[in-house]
Amino acid sequence: MTGAGMDDWIDNSRMILDSARAIVPADGSLARIRGLRGQGPGFDPAMVAEAGGLGLYLMRVPEAAGGLGLGLRETCALMRLLGEGLVPEPIGATIMAGALLAEAFPEQAANGDAVMVTAWQDSPGTLDWQGGAVGGRLSGRKCAIPGAGGADLIAVLTGAGVAVVPRDAPGVTLHLEETLDGGQMATLQLDGVRADLHPCPGAQAVVQDAALAHAAYLLGLSERAFALTLDYLRIREQFGRPIGSFQALQHRATDLKIRIELLRAAVEATAARIDLGADPTLRARDTDRCLLRGAETALLVSREAVQMHGAMGITDEADIGLFVRKAMTLAHLFGAPAAIRARLAQGLETAA
Amino acid sequence: MTPDYTAMSDAEFRALIRDFVETEYPDIPRFPLERLHWDVVKPWYLKLSQRGFLCPTWPVDRGGMGLTAAKHLIMVEELERFGAARVHDIGPVMLGPLLLKYGTEAQKDHFLPRILSGEHVWAQGYSEPGAGSDLAAVRCEAVQQGEDWVINGQKTWTTLGMDANWIFILARTDKTVKKQAGISFLLVPMDAPGVSTRNILNLSGEAEFCEVFFDDVRVPLDHIVGEVNQGWTAAKALLGHERVFIGAPRLSASALARLEHLARHMGQWSDPVFRDRFVALRCDVLDLGDLFQTYLDRLRDGTEIGADVAMLKVFQSELYQRISDLTMEVAGPASGLRHPPQGDRRLHAAATYLSARPVTIFGGSTEILRNVLARAVLGLPG
Repeated sequence: MTGAGMDDWIDNSRMILDSARAIVPADGSLARIRGLRGQGPGFDPAMVAEAGGLGLYLMRVPEAAGGLGLGLRETCALMRLLGEGLVPEPIGATIMAGALLAEAFPEQAANGDAVMVTAWQDSPGTLDWQGGAVGGRLSGRKCAIPGAGGADLIAVLTGAGVAVVPRDAPGVTLHLEETLDGGQMATLQLDGVRADLHPCPGAQAVVQDAALAHAAYLLGLSERAFALTLDYLRIREQFGRPIGSFQALQHRATDLKIRIELLRAAVEATAARIDLGADPTLRARDTDRCLLRGAETALLVSREAVQMHGAMGITDEADIGLFVRKAMTLAHLFGAPAAIRARLAQGLETAA
Repeated sequence: MTPDYTAMSDAEFRALIRDFVETEYPDIPRFPLERLHWDVVKPWYLKLSQRGFLCPTWPVDRGGMGLTAAKHLIMVEELERFGAARVHDIGPVMLGPLLLKYGTEAQKDHFLPRILSGEHVWAQGYSEPGAGSDLAAVRCEAVQQGEDWVINGQKTWTTLGMDANWIFILARTDKTVKKQAGISFLLVPMDAPGVSTRNILNLSGEAEFCEVFFDDVRVPLDHIVGEVNQGWTAAKALLGHERVFIGAPRLSASALARLEHLARHMGQWSDPVFRDRFVALRCDVLDLGDLFQTYLDRLRDGTEIGADVAMLKVFQSELYQRISDLTMEVAGPASGLRHPPQGDRRLHAAATYLSARPVTIFGGSTEILRNVLARAVLGLPG
């Protein structure tokens, strides 16, 4: 933000959204997304390169380290659009790797020639590094890494810094499980993997930023699922009337709208507060509540959308099913809601 | 000579209001959950009036403060931070702005000073036994006879009507047209022959509202605001800021603070099950705060506030109810106590619970507001 005007983020966001239309088609087509399901890692390396060509991976790399040094408002605007399009490429994970590594962010990851993801959690939702980093050799385990099955490089967050680990390095084992969205989730096992560690004192903040960006993706997902559902409510007729004229459905749709607007307001306000220098306590609290709201909203909106689509909603053919399965895959990626609430409860005593 | 509030910095203005309320607030309850009656709240009304603070949104030449939305908000924040009781504000907030927009010069000259002085205490006569959510169905009738309107009918749920000496009503003046097109806005002194009231006890056992009966009540022809049969338009045109403030997170935030106090008192504050639920509610309050702020920003920018603002009220009122539900659970057997345990109002779960009942009914029931949102915001078919 150094030297930048107060409202530069608005123009920046607009430019980023315009360029990201190369990734998320403006006509809303989900044909590409549908076609990638179950095909290996479930995403397209060519699209990873496309995003790299647009410079998206440099968003959160400081300008001093050769990046764009953009704010969270711009990042969240991008992630919201990616969520609308259910984009499966691990763009958020690569942006996170760039923020963690800064100067050490490999050029081939920055330009998208190599696919890079981030492995940060030892156990779900926590930063507690339980593995070892002795004599430049890493041992340990990381869980819940989407996209790792198609990755060339993995940024591994440890207690001693961030390591860049090639996927095919000796001692690296990936355990892959299929996810409902047609992709894969990996567990990473490291057994004496040789790696350079780059100090990263701001790792906690980067993880919180990534959590907020993740909530923005869930916002976009929820908004698009809701828009499709409203279309259906207006068109689908039963008893000689559009089903959207029935009050029971109108009231439920209204509740979804309110939840979505709460999520949108919370994400945008939190991003602005962080960009303008929120203190660490506020940053932790507000990113956590955005995660909770994002997870709850994405699951709520997508399952209600299925109900409102009737029998069509439970077919693979209807696009709405792509949203519910993506929501299930991603909602709790950054931690279980009960664990997040427990963390927030610990902060109650210090709250004003 | 009214100070130029527009020229003051926000900080100066905030300090002015804070100093005023802290030094001038009379010896009456702070943070009351119930509405205070005129005999109790009158000294505060007069303090506000004497200082020129009673009608923040009125223009300066009519005795108001001419505040911008931003400064008005600062004033509201400071009064609420202190816990100042709500005064009888139907005159300052509803009738005043309506007269300023639709009234004749003679009406403005006569009625506005009397609102400011407290000589006229106004009540709102909108709802009827058969016209609640469907307000345009009013049947209370006004017929022109010579130099007078002759009024017959009934109003109900008239908040603090027993304290008022004037009431404005929506009256049926044409039964032959579409129901919204046959309503007029009339001003009626409550000491006129034929006006009578009957108090309605609420669930707390208090008389907060009443019924008002009109039996051949005569008022002069010039006691109409706007044109004949244009009352519906006038009644609907106002309440810009109010539609935003009614969804403020303040009510829920203060209920949450009372719940914390109660939970500590009951030894449940460190219980993980309680804390899990408390944290979820607290996140709701904070998220609502972020959404509320987007509407305040619009007020500041002068952006039009659309029908979507009702989202605030729907979520706020139901959130307040969910907080009150948990408050009752924590209170246990004390849930049913009529008076505050140990004289501590913050421990009085029943007061919170009962105060949470009207919020989803008055000012547009949540069901009606959901209908409005579905049609006007989501564009769903009627």
